[in-house]
Amino acid sequence: MSSQKHNQIFAVVVIAIVVATAALAYYGWPMGPQRLIIATTTSTVDSGLLDYLKPYFDNKFNVNMTWLYLGTGQALQVAASGDADVLLVHDRVREDAFVASGNGTLRVTVMYNDFIIIGPPNDPAGIAGENATDALLKISQAGHDGTTVFVSRGDGSGTNALENRLWKAAGVNTTGALWYESAGQGMAPTIRIANEHIGYTISDRATFLTLQSTMNTTLNLVVLCENDSALLNPYGILLLNPIKYFYIKSDLATDFLLFMVSPQGQSLINNYTINGKQLFFPVYGHPETIGLPSENATVNYLNSLLKSRGLE
Amino acid sequence: MSGFEIIVEGFIKALQILFSGDQEILGITLLSLRVSLTATLLGAAFGIPLGFLVARKDFHGKSVITAVINTLMGLPPVVVGLVVYLFLSASGPLGFLRLLYTPEAMIIAQMILTFPIVCGITISAILSLNPKLKDTLASLSAPRSWEARVLLNESKLGLITAIIAAFGAAISEVGAIMMVGGNLLGYTRALTTAIMLYTNMGEFATAIALGIILLLIAFSVNLFLTYLQMRSRVRRTT
Amino acid sequence: MSFLECRAVSKSYGGKHALKGVTFEIKDGDLLSVVGASGSGKTTLLRIIDGLEKADSGEVLLKGKKIFGEPFPHRKMIGMVFQNPVLFNTTVFNNIAYSLRFRGEEGETINKRVDGMLRLLRLHDLRARNALTLSGGEAQRVALARALVYDPDLLLLDEPTANLDPYNVSIIEEVLQRSNRERRTTVIVVTHNIFQAKRLARKVAFLLEGELVEFGDSATFFESPRDPRTLSFIRGEMVY
Repeated sequence: MSSQKHNQIFAVVVIAIVVATAALAYYGWPMGPQRLIIATTTSTVDSGLLDYLKPYFDNKFNVNMTWLYLGTGQALQVAASGDADVLLVHDRVREDAFVASGNGTLRVTVMYNDFIIIGPPNDPAGIAGENATDALLKISQAGHDGTTVFVSRGDGSGTNALENRLWKAAGVNTTGALWYESAGQGMAPTIRIANEHIGYTISDRATFLTLQSTMNTTLNLVVLCENDSALLNPYGILLLNPIKYFYIKSDLATDFLLFMVSPQGQSLINNYTINGKQLFFPVYGHPETIGLPSENATVNYLNSLLKSRGLE
Repeated sequence: MSGFEIIVEGFIKALQILFSGDQEILGITLLSLRVSLTATLLGAAFGIPLGFLVARKDFHGKSVITAVINTLMGLPPVVVGLVVYLFLSASGPLGFLRLLYTPEAMIIAQMILTFPIVCGITISAILSLNPKLKDTLASLSAPRSWEARVLLNESKLGLITAIIAAFGAAISEVGAIMMVGGNLLGYTRALTTAIMLYTNMGEFATAIALGIILLLIAFSVNLFLTYLQMRSRVRRTT
Repeated sequence: MSFLECRAVSKSYGGKHALKGVTFEIKDGDLLSVVGASGSGKTTLLRIIDGLEKADSGEVLLKGKKIFGEPFPHRKMIGMVFQNPVLFNTTVFNNIAYSLRFRGEEGETINKRVDGMLRLLRLHDLRARNALTLSGGEAQRVALARALVYDPDLLLLDEPTANLDPYNVSIIEEVLQRSNRERRTTVIVVTHNIFQAKRLARKVAFLLEGELVEFGDSATFFESPRDPRTLSFIRGEMVY
C-alpha cells in the first residue's frame, strides 16, 4: 500500500475518532431533568434504599436523584463546602452542630434502622443475646486472649461514632489494641473484611441483609446481638443554607425532604424489605417513641408545607 | 461453594449480563470512552505541538523543561484528583465554574495526566530520530513548514505510541475520576469506578462484566499498537 | 570570475584542526575530485561549502558572493549527497519529489521531472517502494536523484560510491559525468579512491591532515605532482 493511501486512511480514522468522541459528548445519558446531589452515608446506599426510592421520587418531581457515597464525616464536609444539595445522615450530635453553625437551616428525623453485632457462627467471645455494651466488653476480653478480632469502620461515619460511644460506655480503650482492626471504609467492605478475618463488627441491619442476599453462603457471619435501644440508629435530613449556598438546588432539596416525610415516602420506607425483612422504620413526627427529643416546631412547619404542596 | 466455583459462576453471570444488552452498562461504557478519549485527544492536541517545540529548538533551560515533563509523566492520578477536587469544589478557587461531579471535571483531571505522557513520549520520539535528518533537510532547502511535516511523518510511530499510552492510562484510571466525578449513577459512573462500587457491594457478576469490557478495550488498543510496531519493523533489508 | 573560491578556510573542533588555511578556486562547469585519507578534512570542507557548518576563519565565495552559516541564500543552488544517505519514510517517488515540493513546485511539473530522474538512475521499478527498504546502492541512487532533480548549479558528493558494487558505481559515475557535460553542473566529489578520481575528475585536490597539499588539473596531479607527499599517497606508500 502506498504512503499516500496510508496517510489517507490514517486521517480518516483520526477524524472518525474525533467525531465519535464529540458525539458521545452529546449523547450524554439522561440530561433532561435537573440533577439533585444527596450527600449521604454508605449505609443508605449499600442497603439499596435509595435505589428503591429513586424511581418514585424522580417521576413524581421530575428530578434526577443522585447521591455521593461517603461516610457521615465526609458527607458533612462535602455539604459544608457547598458541593452537595442536601444531607441524609445518621449522627444527631454532628447534625445539630451543622445546623447550629449556620450551614444548615433545618434538620428533621425521618427514619431509623438498627444496628446489630455480627460475628462468626461459633461465637468465640460468647456474646449471643447480650446487650451492646456487655457484648463489646466480652469481645475485648476475647480479643485480648487472642481468640478473635473486631473490625471497625474507622472512617468517621455515623456508624463509627455510634461504635465509639458504645466502647466508651463499656469502658474499653481500643487504641493500639492488636485485636482491633480499623478498615477506613464503608459498611459493606468492612463486613467483608470481618468475614475474611473471622471477626466481629457492628453493622446496620440493612447493609448486612443486603450483603447476605448478594453473597449467599460466602458470607459466614450471623446476628448475635440486636434489639438493644443503644443500637437504634436514627436518620436525619438536613437542608443547607440557601443564602450561603445560593448556587445549590435548594428547591429540589426541599422536594426531597418533603417526599421523604410525606405519607407516601414514609410508607415506601416502611415497605422496603430485603428477603422479607424490613430494614428502615419511618419515625417522622414522633421521634419521642424511640427516646429522642420531640421536634414539634419543625414538624409543624413541614406539615404545613406538605399541605400547601398537596403532598399530605 | 469453593473459591473457584464462585469465580466461575460470577464469570458466567457476567457473560449473561453482557449479552443482555443492559442499558446501564452501556451507559457506563460510553461515559468511560467519552471521558478518556476526550482527555487523550486534548492532551495530544497540546502535548504533540509542545513536544515538537521542546525537542527541536535549542533554548536556555531546555533540559530543565524536558526533565520537568518527564517527571510529570509519573504524576500519581490520585494526587491529581485531590488537587482538581480542591480547586473545583464550591468552596475552592474555581468553584464558581460548578464543575465538580461532572464528566467535564473527570476530563480535566485525566487531561492533566495524559498531557505529560503525550508530550514526554513525543519529545523522546523526535530526539531519537536520525540526527542526520536535520542536515538532510537543511541541505535540501526545506522550508520551515515542510520540516515539521516531514518530521511528523518520520516520527509517526512514536506519536501513535504516545497517544495510545496516554489513552491506556486514562481508561484504566480510577482514583482521580472517583474524587472529582463522584461516581454518580447515570452521570459520572465510569467503568473503573463502577467496578469498585459493585465489588464493594458484593455484586461480583456485574463487576466482572464491567471488567471484561475494560479488558477488551485496553487489550484491543494495545494490540493495535503492537501491530503497527511490527509492521514498521518488517522494513529494513540490506 | 571563478565559480567557487575558498580563501584560507580553517576549522577546528575542540583543539583538533580539521582544516588549515585551505585555498583554491574552480570555474563554472569544473569537475573537482578531493582525495585524501579518512579524517583529512574532506567531509568538513564539503559541509562548510554546503553551509551546514561555519568556518572558523577564511571565506568561501560562490559566484563572487560570500556564503555564511545559516540562513544560507545560496543553498538552493547547491545539491549534496551524503556518505550514508538518510531517506524519508515514504516511497522512492516521494523522496525525490520532496526536493521539488520544498521549492514550491506542484502537480505535473513534479511528475515529469521525478519520472525523468527515475529513468536516469534506473529507479523506475522502485517507484512505489518504501525508500527505507532499499539496498545501499539503490538508496544512494535515490539520494543522487533527489539532489539532481532541481538542477543545482553545484553538486557536492561525499564518498558516493564507497561501499557499492560495480553496477551501482558505474551508474552513478555515468550520471555525474552526463550532468557535468550536458547541464554544466559543477561537481565536487570527495573520494578516497584514486582510480575513481582519475576516471572522473578534471581537477584534483589532495588534503592531508587539513592542509591542501596539492591542487591542479588531473593530468599533472597524477603524472607529475609537485609535492612528494602527493606521489607517496598515489602510490599507496603513505602511512597514516
